[in-house]
Amino acid sequence: MTLAIRQVTKTFGQHRVLDALDLDVQQGELLCLLGRNGAGKTTLLKILAGLLKPEAGSIWLDDRVVNYSESNARHAIGLVMHQPFLYEHLTGIENLRFYARIYQKPEDDAALEKALIRVGMQRFGGKPVRAYSRGMKQRLTIARALLHNPRVLLLDEPYTGLDLQGSLLFNQLMLEQKQQGHIVIMTTHDLSHALPISSRFAFLARGRVVEDLTNGDLSLAYLEDWLAGRLAKPALEQQKEGA
Amino acid sequence: MKDWLHSVRTLVWKDLLQEWRSKDMLTAMFAFAILTLFIFNYAMELSPINRAEIAAGIIWVVVVFAGTLGLNRSFTAEQDQGCFDALVMAVPDVSAIYFGKMLTNWLVMLFVSVLIVPIYSLLYNQSLFNAGFLLVLVLGAWCYSAAGTLIAGMTVQTRMRDLLLPILLFPILMPVNMAVVKSASGILTAAPFEDVQAWLVLLAAYGIIVTTVSIMVFEYVIRE
Repeated sequence: MTLAIRQVTKTFGQHRVLDALDLDVQQGELLCLLGRNGAGKTTLLKILAGLLKPEAGSIWLDDRVVNYSESNARHAIGLVMHQPFLYEHLTGIENLRFYARIYQKPEDDAALEKALIRVGMQRFGGKPVRAYSRGMKQRLTIARALLHNPRVLLLDEPYTGLDLQGSLLFNQLMLEQKQQGHIVIMTTHDLSHALPISSRFAFLARGRVVEDLTNGDLSLAYLEDWLAGRLAKPALEQQKEGA
Repeated sequence: MKDWLHSVRTLVWKDLLQEWRSKDMLTAMFAFAILTLFIFNYAMELSPINRAEIAAGIIWVVVVFAGTLGLNRSFTAEQDQGCFDALVMAVPDVSAIYFGKMLTNWLVMLFVSVLIVPIYSLLYNQSLFNAGFLLVLVLGAWCYSAAGTLIAGMTVQTRMRDLLLPILLFPILMPVNMAVVKSASGILTAAPFEDVQAWLVLLAAYGIIVTTVSIMVFEYVIRE
């Protein structure tokens, strides 16, 4: 299974956020998208989720263009965004039951309890979401996104609100996703947590991938320098200019 | 089709459960309806004959204005937490979201109607418990929910949604308002069925057409 992004272009008004962007993600890979604010990371995730339509370009999965009007294509994707996608007046377990029902997945108490245990929320499933802290909501959001066992998982700043234990638990879940051969694409500014689990890092700038490096080549210091703009020029840009 | 119906049922279950817990829509709609009934009661001194003629108009005005409050809330609850995106990704067809919301809005409007009809009867000393009149309310509420849910789906994505919804909705509802008031007045004043029949057919036709068209276009309305 390969997820291929081909020549994807997206413009908001006069601002071109993504400019003929190309990217491939292989089965069992966790790709970490990095870039400064406004680099187009969230826009790319929304396009991959089918929530935004690009002006040009296409998304390919299993050598087929993804047709987002087909529910099978949409059900292959799990999404965690800034907003939790949770209903405040329902309890944690009722939220999961709703999503399990709508995805037509097992919705019995045992299955939902298992989903809560995965994110360390078993004691809070009966409480309304409006009583949750930001971190608890984030844990439930992650459980919600994993509920239908998606083959492609898209995560926008997944560490937001998570405490150290939550971040480690999340990393464990992501390693499981990789082992199952799923594709994970994540944006984050929490580099210290992302570094141990990411297979690759793609750096976005001016609507394009300007650097795409395998994890083994990288150090935390390099990632921080890149994001802080302390590097003179990323390696890929230097290559392009040289060519 | 089975998956679509399953999604609709699940959405209605979720919306009603959420409304039961929060009572956001019901409280606002019911309070507004009661206040409006009291204002009409004090503003108009009606003879028993006039009451029968004007009851339909008063009840429908109260239902429509209270319903607008509910329509505004029905989509903002999804929008606030970003749940709309999650629904779009989860349902087999986006039209299921429209149909589920439409059914919920319809049920909530009927519930408010069931509460205000006896209160009207007490205030104006006039019984409205007439099967024909209640049928008109059911049909009118369906037409209102069918058009209102579509327009609310459009306006919820705008900054001026509270203003835009009534401005866009009320002109579209003109045939419904006329048909409900004329047919309900006819029923309450014991007019011949032939006088009322055409208005009932108009209501049924409006409901079927607007619901069908809305199911077809809802995806284009809510997509970017």
